[in-house]
Amino acid sequence: MYSTAKNFRTYRTEEYKGGGNTSRGRVNYKSYFHENCGEENVYYKNNGYKSRLSQFQEDDGNTAMSDIQKDLHPRHNLSTTDDNNRKVARDNKDLIHITEWRDGNHQMRNMNKNEPGCKDRTFPMTKNKGPMPKYRTPSKREIEENGQNNIYGNWFKITIPYGRKYTKTWLLNSIQSKCSVHFTPVDFHYVRSQAHFFVKNSTTAFALKNVNYKIHDENNHQVRLFVKESAAPSSEQNKLKPEEIEQLKLAMKKRFDVSQKSLNLQSFRFDQDLMSHDIDMILNRRNCMSATLTVIEENFPELLSLNLCSNKLYQLDGLADIIPKAPQIKILNLSNNELKSLRQLDKIREMKLEELWLQGNPLYNNFSNYSTYMSAILDYFPKLLCLDGKDVTHSMDVETGASEILKPSKKNHGVSEMLKNLVLQFLEQYYSIYDCGDRSRLLDAYHDEACFSLTIPCNPKELVPLSLYKYSKSNRNMKNCKDHVLLTQLLKHTKRDVVDFLRVLPKTQHDLSSFMVDICILTEKMLCFSVNGRFKEVEATCPVILRAFTRIFIVIPASNSRLCIVNDTLTVSNACPKEIQSDVSIPARAPSSIPVPTISQEQQAMVQAFSTQSGMKFNWSLKCLEQNDWNYAVAGQNFTLLKAEGKIPKEAFQQIS
Amino acid sequence: MGDKPIWEQIGSSFIQHYYQLFDNDRTQLGAIYIDASCLTWEGQQFQGKAAIVEKLSSLPFQKIQHSITSQDHQPTPDSCILSMVVGQLKADEDPIMGFHQMFLLKNINDAWVCTNDMFRLALHNFG
Repeated sequence: MYSTAKNFRTYRTEEYKGGGNTSRGRVNYKSYFHENCGEENVYYKNNGYKSRLSQFQEDDGNTAMSDIQKDLHPRHNLSTTDDNNRKVARDNKDLIHITEWRDGNHQMRNMNKNEPGCKDRTFPMTKNKGPMPKYRTPSKREIEENGQNNIYGNWFKITIPYGRKYTKTWLLNSIQSKCSVHFTPVDFHYVRSQAHFFVKNSTTAFALKNVNYKIHDENNHQVRLFVKESAAPSSEQNKLKPEEIEQLKLAMKKRFDVSQKSLNLQSFRFDQDLMSHDIDMILNRRNCMSATLTVIEENFPELLSLNLCSNKLYQLDGLADIIPKAPQIKILNLSNNELKSLRQLDKIREMKLEELWLQGNPLYNNFSNYSTYMSAILDYFPKLLCLDGKDVTHSMDVETGASEILKPSKKNHGVSEMLKNLVLQFLEQYYSIYDCGDRSRLLDAYHDEACFSLTIPCNPKELVPLSLYKYSKSNRNMKNCKDHVLLTQLLKHTKRDVVDFLRVLPKTQHDLSSFMVDICILTEKMLCFSVNGRFKEVEATCPVILRAFTRIFIVIPASNSRLCIVNDTLTVSNACPKEIQSDVSIPARAPSSIPVPTISQEQQAMVQAFSTQSGMKFNWSLKCLEQNDWNYAVAGQNFTLLKAEGKIPKEAFQQIS
Repeated sequence: MGDKPIWEQIGSSFIQHYYQLFDNDRTQLGAIYIDASCLTWEGQQFQGKAAIVEKLSSLPFQKIQHSITSQDHQPTPDSCILSMVVGQLKADEDPIMGFHQMFLLKNINDAWVCTNDMFRLALHNFG
């Protein structure tokens, strides 16, 4: 029957390296767990799993090892595995743990009957009529029958195979909407790609079974749901006794600061009061976390700040339950725990955090620098103000009061200096993020309902130049694109879509000195400016290409004195290497890239006259006068001199037609 | 197939109308502006229908031809239309130049007028 392993060994694992029980035979397998477990259930990784399981009576590929073990050893309180699949017996006395390693080299270890301290037991034959085929949900009759015979109480485990794709809220709401019976999910958690939760009675379970095939997600895929009886979930199984809960409450009250509404559960396990009462508050365990959250719910629902530092937390499934219980939490300290990946944060994403502490967690090492780390965190908690004690720099903070500046003064319809500076600052910030590589930080700059579109100009009979092909898929040039439906799709709407699209565009380096910016005030609350300039495309494997672009932004003032983009249209074309001198008008470019106020009427007249006299074109005459401080006589003299020397190029002169 | 969204319909027909007027007789352009309109021509600002028409009429060329290489229209949050045009123009016998122009269109009393107009010659490309 147990052909897998010849040696049976028992192991006891401790979730804490130090402290705790010290019995013989304890082996520290923490390192194994750390190696093997991200947040995934190791069992599923092993391909040989199914065949091994067939050795056991309860053959159900869907079940986690722990369930089987529990079913096999009803007398022992083994907790269900959480993501990291640790099992720690609550009972100190005889601890038999069965663990499996994902590494193919290791084999399933089973109980060693001969090991001292191990109670003699036989693996009971299945109560069921044979191995349960995978995913076959029991019929109502079976559930009821087994329910009555089921010595573990009427618990059922619901599995949603690809549940990881959906948020907890959406999933539970969808299921509830199709379920005829109201259910309370217990111990909702994710294991690999699956979502699981437990429900209490057979009627509920049967009702849920009928929900299968009824739910469709937004892509119209079916959401499958399987119901299986199981032992009680860990939080139920190892529920704290009432007197323990009372002690817990007292201990927590001592740690609660009423004025700050903050609860300090740092190193909670080593709380003196709890230890003296022999209560092990190991917060990784669902039962402990659940009890703690219940105490919070009942006693401190107005909680604002929670400190869970140094509790060896490696998963946040349990913590996720806090959201309805203490909805106002803004400050969360998870520092010095064992969180390995940001995906854990996914579970508490709905918390509206303003301050978060994550330093001292292994996940920090996943990032190459602080700013990528910070932007990744901001993705989960966009309203975050403070991370690890440092102020979060929201990308698009423009300091001057935008709303003040936008009021057009009645006298001067022109654009004020302050406004120009505001716009310049905005553009500098915008393009520094745009060019830096991580354009997702631009999310801050856009309004929720922002629109963006990209166009490539080209002559009517021509196709888009090959070199611009990267942009052409999203080309909205209406001259070429006859398909209206496609056009609509190419208009990016909502900031998510906009930024997602921007991230796909080639990497760029904008030449701010080439920018020509025109500003006009549309209303008190809206500003429009256009930018003409150049940038280089700097994709890694391609040669650098010079592009010219025109971009029009419409912005409104947002909170924090920021500017928020509501419309953004971009035109990209190939640039010519040099600038084209225009003769039709005066190229007015100051170093700050904002056009200098144009010359006065008087000066204009001077230029006109000079132009006529000298025979030079308008802008050349202008240059000459400017260089000579608008001294007509001096300019004239210098002109004559230079002309005699032949230093004035032919193109300066008007064509004599 | 579906209809074109309204901003595209209006935008396209406005553009067509504008350049037709401009090329044929730009003194007639006053009809599309209102007194609150603002034109930014190569960085210079002109406010009001009269000033705008004066500026456009006084541009130093007799003949002008516009050719549009791209246009794009977006709706703005206050139900106006943002139109962006890139094209080429030829004034008199000058060489062809690229230009960019932006219009902001607003619906006033069931007519679409231009409240903002920004024109720039292209310095870095040929339109």
